[in-house]
Amino acid sequence: MKEAAPRNASFQHASLASGRWRELDLLEQLANVGSEVERSLAWAAKNKPEVSWTALERALELIDLTLADPKHRIKPGRLKELARLREVLLDYFVGGNEFGSSEAAWRSYFGAFAMAVALRRAPAEMRAPAESPEERCEPGPGRS
Amino acid sequence: MDIVRTPITLSDLQTMAESTFGELVKAVVDVERGIMAVDAELHSDEEAALLSDGSMQADLWGINLRPGLYPEEDWVEFDSLINLRPWQGNRSRGVEDEAVRRRILAIVDSLVVP
Repeated sequence: MKEAAPRNASFQHASLASGRWRELDLLEQLANVGSEVERSLAWAAKNKPEVSWTALERALELIDLTLADPKHRIKPGRLKELARLREVLLDYFVGGNEFGSSEAAWRSYFGAFAMAVALRRAPAEMRAPAESPEERCEPGPGRS
Repeated sequence: MDIVRTPITLSDLQTMAESTFGELVKAVVDVERGIMAVDAELHSDEEAALLSDGSMQADLWGINLRPGLYPEEDWVEFDSLINLRPWQGNRSRGVEDEAVRRRILAIVDSLVVP
């Protein structure tokens, strides 16, 4: 069995690196990565590059723990997405933004994972009901 | 994209360069397995391919090969965003550990023949 954490690694998320991260599914993992990216963006906007960098380091750790999670290795498309995510994120923060990403694009990308996790955790009565034709409020024939 | 496990020629690399960036070929080297992925537009795609092939991320390092500069020292350029791994002590796009750089050069030397 492969190690949960790579050799010679020094993780800020020590307990997650020891294996707990792998108990999360992909949506939860990326929602957590997104939290760190949001923090990094927020501190960058406040012109606090050192604090922004530490949040970005934590985001990288979580992406790398996700890349090392065996459940994603059986799906090559996931590895490609995660590896590209890592490179494009670094390109935005420390590279030349060759890929033309933006703060809004990052918030949108990670916001979708956060929303998916939040919806899944919400009590059933809080979730939006499935629409039936009778419930739609669209103006129909005879309505104004 | 190719995963190079047995030697290729400098001429092969030159052909790859001409079909993509013109002067350089992006590569990712696995310093434990002694193999490298080449000929992709992104280092991250080569990284993903090697991870799928059984590599560990901590062993993977992104470089650029410039066949036109061979055998000058600069023909291997240690520069890739995938190398930025703070948890491993590498906080730049380069490869900060000289011992790792030497291992990379030895692997490239063994996999690319003039």
